[in-house]
Amino acid sequence: MKKFKRFLILCFLFLLEVSFFIYGENETIAIKNVKILTVTRGIIEEGTILIENGRISAVGQGVEIPNEASLIHASGCIITPGLIDSHSHLGLGPSGGVTEDNEMSSACTPQLRIIDSIHPEGMEPHSHSFRDAVSQGVTTVIARPGSGNVIGGQSAALKLRGKTVDDMILVFPVDMKMAMGRKGYYASKGVLPVTKMGTAYIVRNAMVEAMDYKLALELYEKKKDKDKNAKPPDRDLKNEAMLMVLNRDIPVHIHCSPVDDIMTAVRLADEFDFYKLSLAHAEESYKVADELAKRGVIVVVGPRMITFDDKDNLINIAENLVKHGVEINIMTDADVVQQEYLRFQAAIAIKYGLAPEEALKAITINPAKLIGMEKRIGSIEVGKDADLVIFDGDPFDIQTKVLKVFIDGKIVYDLEKERGLQ
Amino acid sequence: MKFKFLCVLCLFVFIAGNNAIQAEKDSNKLVIKNGYIVPVNADPIEEGIILIENGIIKDLGKNIPIPEEAEVIDASKNWVLPGFIESHSSLGTTGQYGGGDTDETYNPDTAQMKIIDAINPFDKNFLYARTAGITTIMAAPGRKNVIGGQTAVLRLMGKTVNQMTLLSPAGLKISLGEGPKSTYGSKGRLPSTRMGSAYVIRKAMIEAKEYSQKWNEYKEKSKKNQDIPPPKRDLRLEVLSLALDGELTVFIESYRVDDIMTALRLIDEFKLKAVLVGCAEGYKVAEEIAIRKIPVVISPFGIGPRRMETKEIKISNAAVLSQKGVKIVLKSDESLGMGNIRELPLIAALAVKGGLDRKTALRAITLTAAEVLGVEDKIGSLEKGKEGNIVISDGDPFHYKTRIQRVLIQGKTVYQKSY
Repeated sequence: MKKFKRFLILCFLFLLEVSFFIYGENETIAIKNVKILTVTRGIIEEGTILIENGRISAVGQGVEIPNEASLIHASGCIITPGLIDSHSHLGLGPSGGVTEDNEMSSACTPQLRIIDSIHPEGMEPHSHSFRDAVSQGVTTVIARPGSGNVIGGQSAALKLRGKTVDDMILVFPVDMKMAMGRKGYYASKGVLPVTKMGTAYIVRNAMVEAMDYKLALELYEKKKDKDKNAKPPDRDLKNEAMLMVLNRDIPVHIHCSPVDDIMTAVRLADEFDFYKLSLAHAEESYKVADELAKRGVIVVVGPRMITFDDKDNLINIAENLVKHGVEINIMTDADVVQQEYLRFQAAIAIKYGLAPEEALKAITINPAKLIGMEKRIGSIEVGKDADLVIFDGDPFDIQTKVLKVFIDGKIVYDLEKERGLQ
Repeated sequence: MKFKFLCVLCLFVFIAGNNAIQAEKDSNKLVIKNGYIVPVNADPIEEGIILIENGIIKDLGKNIPIPEEAEVIDASKNWVLPGFIESHSSLGTTGQYGGGDTDETYNPDTAQMKIIDAINPFDKNFLYARTAGITTIMAAPGRKNVIGGQTAVLRLMGKTVNQMTLLSPAGLKISLGEGPKSTYGSKGRLPSTRMGSAYVIRKAMIEAKEYSQKWNEYKEKSKKNQDIPPPKRDLRLEVLSLALDGELTVFIESYRVDDIMTALRLIDEFKLKAVLVGCAEGYKVAEEIAIRKIPVVISPFGIGPRRMETKEIKISNAAVLSQKGVKIVLKSDESLGMGNIRELPLIAALAVKGGLDRKTALRAITLTAAEVLGVEDKIGSLEKGKEGNIVISDGDPFHYKTRIQRVLIQGKTVYQKSY
């Protein structure tokens, strides 16, 4: 067994090397005289970023530029980390993916993996959705199963480069996707869940079944040395998937809108001690922001950025959460809002009062943290992946153009070369 | 006896009250001063004055005497614009208390349906849209039927649909492509294909032609012989014959280029007065649309359930069409976030990003929209004689940080920024 593990690790390292060979651009690039929004280390006016081997090797004013480096002068421009969409359905099927993300044959499908549904056309560098996303600075998306099922399956974080989904994977599985309160489809068929109680029961039941499965596995481990006839429990893909949740190996991401569904999600997280809970949409989160803050729940806001309370006052969902100390991400829910409009989703939050720094965090470092990749992406720091976007002005202004986009130090979009394409 | 007295008292109070309202209305003079006025039909006026009397713009310019009795709004450092118009919407039919009344799907041809019969004036969405500067919409049936019914232009103020209505019927809604196909195809009914949808329209138009011929013959004959009974009335064919006569504009929702061309073919065949709605792939056949002088109502977005058909949409769609000479109206996509009706000016800004001229973009959500909807004599610009539908914002409406400060409909403040 140990040997096998070592073999696996070796395989993994080999793959890593190969991927470096493919994506680790050996070219050294220096981006000069640019205003750097590092996200985590403030703003550097007229700074330089040095890219080596696909990583950021230096950031700051007065960075020494090696002779072999190719220079990019970006005076008057603003550079940010590559943008990350925390909740997307990009690439799900050739026709925009109406159903490829919802396996509506059962309401409980934790064994499903979103990467098996992503159509190459969605990712292929020449397809519209892929190219348009990159052209507006989106470099990483978290692709998720839809919200048709209570337990939809496993999400994946993808970098928007490569020809196959395997090339694109940054993290998989990222987390388990669930949805509260969405019972319409099964209710119309008279199948569980017909009510919100049923929805919660499905999650509870799946967790309890996973516990039993775990017990059976542990029992077998204990028995097998003494008893040669001992049999391991039958493999069960559903339970294996839920074991990751139970063992706190992966976080949970739950779709919910009204406050009752939000609190059901929170209750389940409390009950089963989920490793990390993030909520999607959560339009009524303003009613229970303190409850969410207390537990460190993260909210992925969007595509609806504002709502109205019972007295018809406008509520800026993102701003309200930040005010109460809840960490937020901002999403497009692509294609509900097209993938490339991620920065404008953030702009709307700013329009109604969110601080621009917070908005930028919500589409860079915060989603990086959500997927445990804060050491690789989400900010401009030495050692991080060179995923960068050069804007010709305020990144949130609609008229601002994206000039260049880098992923792993490679230019994946260049306005000069692609002018007229969009 | 007491009852009688009460009745009289009530009547008196009612009349008095009514008179009071009437009197107030008579002296209802409003002045907006010091603002940067963008009339849309003319050049902007710096620090201009607008005088509104009884809800109608009486005068605007630089040196206008301010009547003493007038209420004055100081708009210094603010922009003053005509109210925005959303030219194709299901607002008011999808409210909190049920809804989904936009498609009468018992039959793919329901020209006789009127959208005003599905509108709830108390739908909160009217209020939310109003607070974002939308003062007028065209409410239209959905896209599940081939011939959906009659649209209406509504001002976003009033307790009853009658109070809201500016024009009804404003047009006849037709839909091509996946909408009707998926609605009826799944039931094994006509139309299951695009051919089927075109046939439904062709058949309806020919029926309508025969129907109006029958009536014309009757009118001729009845001049000589008054005993001839009139033909049986048919509400559906009455509406369709209005469209055939060019008295009612048809709004054809189509996204893919093949559907757009089918629309154009039908327009040619029946000589319809038409507007294309959606038109995601319009840029591919911009010349064909331009040559026929057909306006388009488009969104730079391609989102929501229509995404299958809007996959090929481009942000430059409006710009390309406009450059070829097509009249452009911009609309939101009734979606969330960036696509929401509340962000209509930002949606226009997106079209500018795609290359559309700024003036054309602003006109596309105000005066051009009014022209295409047939209400340009009443709304769409800041001009003498038009309704006082006004948006006051703290800057360029196309900038994302700009906030709406005040919204007036017929000179009445319907929103004042409170958050």
